[in-house]
Amino acid sequence: MSGAFVNTLAVARLEWRRLVVRPLAWVLAALTLAWLAWNFTLLLGGFLAGQIQRAALPGGPGFTDLVAVPLLGQLAQLAFLVVPLLTMSAIAGDRRNGTLPLLFAAGVPASHIVLGRYLAVLGWLLLWLVLTLAMPLALASATSLDWGKLAAAALGLTLMLAALAAVGVASSTFASHPAIAAAAALIIALALWGVNLGAQMAGINGGAINWLAMSTHLQPLLRGLVSTTDLLWFVLLVGLALALATRRLGSDRERG
Amino acid sequence: MTPSIPASPATVLRLDQLSRRRAGRPAVQNLSLALQSGQVLGLLGVNGAGKSTTLSMIAGALRPDSGSIQLSGEDFLEHPELARQLIGWLPERAPLWAELSVNEHLDAHGRLRGLNGAALRLARCAIIERLELQPLARRLAGVLSQGQRQRLGLACALLHRPALLVLDEPANALDPVQAAALRALIREQSATGTAVILSTHLLTEVTAVCDRVAILHEGTLRHDGPIHSDDHAALERTFFEIAMHGTCVPARAA
Repeated sequence: MSGAFVNTLAVARLEWRRLVVRPLAWVLAALTLAWLAWNFTLLLGGFLAGQIQRAALPGGPGFTDLVAVPLLGQLAQLAFLVVPLLTMSAIAGDRRNGTLPLLFAAGVPASHIVLGRYLAVLGWLLLWLVLTLAMPLALASATSLDWGKLAAAALGLTLMLAALAAVGVASSTFASHPAIAAAAALIIALALWGVNLGAQMAGINGGAINWLAMSTHLQPLLRGLVSTTDLLWFVLLVGLALALATRRLGSDRERG
Repeated sequence: MTPSIPASPATVLRLDQLSRRRAGRPAVQNLSLALQSGQVLGLLGVNGAGKSTTLSMIAGALRPDSGSIQLSGEDFLEHPELARQLIGWLPERAPLWAELSVNEHLDAHGRLRGLNGAALRLARCAIIERLELQPLARRLAGVLSQGQRQRLGLACALLHRPALLVLDEPANALDPVQAAALRALIREQSATGTAVILSTHLLTEVTAVCDRVAILHEGTLRHDGPIHSDDHAALERTFFEIAMHGTCVPARAA
């Protein structure tokens, strides 16, 4: 195994361990999954109640459109709160309790520290997504799922969580206190989501301002439309956030 | 794992014209010294003399503004990854992850230093036994006393059997029995060929375990020379002379 991989893996394992032994991650998982499960039963109840009317509409919305995708939409809303809380201590916590120099002194480059921390948080978020997806998938044999649409929506959520986690880790790298990191990550995420709200209210549906907004790129994926431009937007955001985090952490070692 | 017993005394560490500014003032200026394997160097100085800055640079946690650091003959600034196997560092006040247990700390440090599987388990068991950490092995670091934290920090620094051990005021918060055990441990490390740099405020600590002493004052090296266990009075005189008047005693070559 290469040194870079070993370093990143060691940092990721350390961060994963810290995540799973702290109550915060468990409390967040329990509360959000309970909320999503409750909403799943409500969505399912609505779907079952309207089944007879929809039978008269050939090609009308099915289980995926009325239950699975709206459930993932709710997870996306929760992610705006959950991700900043999960990522806030990723680097800011280390800076605060003086453990960051230990990682530098172990010869781990800033990029591996950032990537390791990011992968650990992303692992937790993907587990969260899988557990949420398990709810509609549990009924896969009893209903007709639109697998393509569900896969596109799951891909969209994965990319969104990856982007929010990268923004969260970057905020944690720049902040001196975890609470500041959480607030910054939340503000940046909300700004990224709604940067085009003004333009939309003015009736402008194209242009650079709309391209900048996360909603512009997530909503097509939730509708089952996968385009390279949307995927690229998320990849660029993740890359930019992690590059900024690496640069900031590297300068920490320079500045002391 | 880095072999700890070299065939003959070799230069483990060489600092050349090392300088670093902190908070707008020079913290360390043109510091040059060398350390052979098995040697124990006591680094003395009043608060703010530049000891911790020097040790942080040697440990790889802080980059110097200028100068060079050679570790086992290789440029450490060009290859910071050398720290992974060659250096063990115990910073002041042993920073730990409060939510991890003693065992988990040792595992995390071992993995960061490239140990895995059976080698990691063996190293962990050996250091736990050596530092008598068995009763604390499953305890969270956040509930350890200051002395226990210090011992855990020391265990993390020694886990991978480094060629250079950097200790920043390791006797802080240790009771007299633990301090004596620390002295024995430093001598033991030295006997197996590990070079040790020990920063301390305790002159008795230096005369008890060090075979060389360097005194820093206002970021510059004012004294560097050998010391013997019966040299306490002379060391005290030199130290206070430098601390009070900044008197520069000609440094001996390392």
